[in-house]
Amino acid sequence: QEEAQAIDQELFTEYKFSVDQLMELAGLSCATAIAKAYPPGSFTKSLPAVLVVCGPGNNGGDGLVCARHLKMFGYEPTVYYPKRPNKPLFEGLTTQCQKMDIPFLSEFPAEAALIDELYGLVVDAIFGFSFTGAVREPFGSILNTLEHVTVPVASIDIPSGWDVEKGKADGLQPDMLISLTAPKKAARHFAGRYHFLGGRFVPAALQKKYSLNLPPYPGTDCVLQLS
Amino acid sequence: PSPLSQAFPLPSLPRKQPTVLVVCGPAQNGAIGLVCARHLRIFDYEPTIFYPKRSPDPLYRDFTTQCEKMDIPFLSYLPTEVQLINDAYNAVVDAVLGAEAELGEGRGPCAGILATLKHVRIPIVSLDVPSGWDVEAGSSSGISPDVLVSLMAPKQCARRFLGRQHFVAGRFVPYDVQKKFELNPPEYPGTECVVPL
Repeated sequence: QEEAQAIDQELFTEYKFSVDQLMELAGLSCATAIAKAYPPGSFTKSLPAVLVVCGPGNNGGDGLVCARHLKMFGYEPTVYYPKRPNKPLFEGLTTQCQKMDIPFLSEFPAEAALIDELYGLVVDAIFGFSFTGAVREPFGSILNTLEHVTVPVASIDIPSGWDVEKGKADGLQPDMLISLTAPKKAARHFAGRYHFLGGRFVPAALQKKYSLNLPPYPGTDCVLQLS
Repeated sequence: PSPLSQAFPLPSLPRKQPTVLVVCGPAQNGAIGLVCARHLRIFDYEPTIFYPKRSPDPLYRDFTTQCEKMDIPFLSYLPTEVQLINDAYNAVVDAVLGAEAELGEGRGPCAGILATLKHVRIPIVSLDVPSGWDVEAGSSSGISPDVLVSLMAPKQCARRFLGRQHFVAGRFVPYDVQKKFELNPPEYPGTECVVPL
């Protein structure tokens, strides 16, 4: 977790990347990975409907970017975004989604069965690699519900609620994990079908410095399937 | 960078090193060139940048820092001896002037650069508008790019484009904006961010 935070810090302070830039590339990777694993034509429901659950921080921001690109790729995303930071970055991302006719739910579906009815996929963009401590409401109840859905769940960077290094045996078990920049320690405990790497922006010098040993991305793709 | 790698995939390059010269103008088109150079580096090309008039815009200054920190060299001058460019690089990315350039800008400080670029023999990839062209009428005496990457939608002058490949890129325009301005962009395949026309 510390290393991931150190890399982020260097990208922002030394390389002068903006949060916007990296969040856009990260969110695009997530949408691309999802499109590869769950193409729009593969949905059993008539519309490729996706529920994107966005948390209160940067992981939520990644989710908003992802939702927007999913829309461009022909999906029908819906966003649930209960705790919105008061910052221009997140306000802008929200506006972009709204202006693209991506609905924002006013309340979370009460039961897992309802989510299974309405959506073919859930994107978990609740908590990321900075998560520590206890899960605060409303996210505790949300995660409880998500643990019972039968449609696939795709988690951005870390399955939400997991300890970033140790995982969580009785927690959310997503079908897909999109590790951003590099897989975190918790990824060892990932048991789903699809593990993708995204966030193709780490300069070679940084990869070396932190011994990331990432396998090469194919061609100009912004995602790499790890499993 | 994606159109460049589609038009000039790494294994196809004639020079031993996958070198590309990215010439960046003072405004937005130049800044797009900086971003392009950075991604080319990530794609394992070896870009070199010529960016003589640097914008004071903080965002564009950060783009410059990102390139510098990724060990992308910045030339201090552009050789007027065109053969030097032909020998050193596989292709040139023309990010000098875009659609916002005013008429006659081709005669201003960028004139020298454009005069040199007119004579290179290696392929030129122009971003959005071949630099120095009038955005609507085109140009009969300006640079002749091999590849044109139109951003969002082709500009009127694209009708005069005679090069090998024309791409549209910039897959971010919402449907209602596309409709409102009658952009009628081609369909992007799958999750691609560029589409050949």
